[in-house]
Amino acid sequence: MAWSNTMVDVLKQYNVQFISYVPDAKGEKILQVARKDKYFEILPLTREEEGIGVVCGQALGGKRGVVLMPTAGFGNSINALASLAIPYKFSLPMIIGVRGELGEFNQAQIPMGQAMPAILAALNIPTFRITREEDVEKMTEGALRVAYANESPVAILVTNEMAGWKKGSVKL
Amino acid sequence: MIDRLEACRYLVSKLGDELVVTDIGNQKRDLSEAEDRDLNFYMWNSMGMGSSLGLGLAMARPDRKVITMDGDGSLLMNLGSLGTETLRQPENLIHIVWDNKMYHLTGEQPTATAFRTDLARVAEGAGYENVARCETLDAFKAAFDKALAEPGPHFILAINDDKPAAGGAVPKSPTYIRHRFMRAQGLES
Repeated sequence: MAWSNTMVDVLKQYNVQFISYVPDAKGEKILQVARKDKYFEILPLTREEEGIGVVCGQALGGKRGVVLMPTAGFGNSINALASLAIPYKFSLPMIIGVRGELGEFNQAQIPMGQAMPAILAALNIPTFRITREEDVEKMTEGALRVAYANESPVAILVTNEMAGWKKGSVKL
Repeated sequence: MIDRLEACRYLVSKLGDELVVTDIGNQKRDLSEAEDRDLNFYMWNSMGMGSSLGLGLAMARPDRKVITMDGDGSLLMNLGSLGTETLRQPENLIHIVWDNKMYHLTGEQPTATAFRTDLARVAEGAGYENVARCETLDAFKAAFDKALAEPGPHFILAINDDKPAAGGAVPKSPTYIRHRFMRAQGLES
């Protein structure tokens, strides 16, 4: 089973009904699976920060949501995480498609990609980095469990090591 | 122009189990002065997130009306949320913007609405079909009554005066605000 099928299965097992997103290539793999299941309601956003507010609002109404975003979008979300999700203690799983690391060809992606782990650590956001397909079920379920136990954001990082590495696709 | 506290007093007088979320700023204090309901959710920072929070809540609670109380400065910081609201079209959502054309609490600096920006026209452009632009308390009352009675989403621009907020005591603890709000919906024991 593809990693995206596994991840979506785990979301459903955890009653995560709402998926909000700003698209990236890795998130699209998840959306392709979720769109086939009417259980999920999928909401496109104009900016990732909106997703922080939307998922917190869904939690306020007793429902679970997740937000998919690219690495750049994590940068767009920082104050909403620091001043809404964290102090109000909202469970908020973020699935982040990693850019700016292994094999990055776009120099303008690299500073945010390199800074993201340190920013997550500075905000004390539990972070789960998936590098192998065989780890997807364990890492996704484990991350969701921490989000709902800790009442906090968690970051699930979908890396190029697992998804998106294309040998020789760009030669610099 | 509208006296925001008077408008808030009218608003809460019409409410039963409706859910209210407020962005930061003056309206938070006027709402709590009018009535500090358990079903009021107050944001203390994250300026601009009120509209997104209200949308998420409206999606999670389609059985209740959800009222987002926004400010001109806050909405200008998250204008894209209008498009997200209209693509989703939650029938239970009422998005109110108190527009005093300034960042009041930081020294009355003008916002873009003090110049050429009209947030009612922005809302129309974003796809809102039910838009009310209210410059008097009577107009606000009529627009709010309609929004409560009819399926939405509704956008109400309330042009208010430059008075500072009333001294309503807003609960300070974020987790207290959240748990009180969820408990009042029967979501937590």
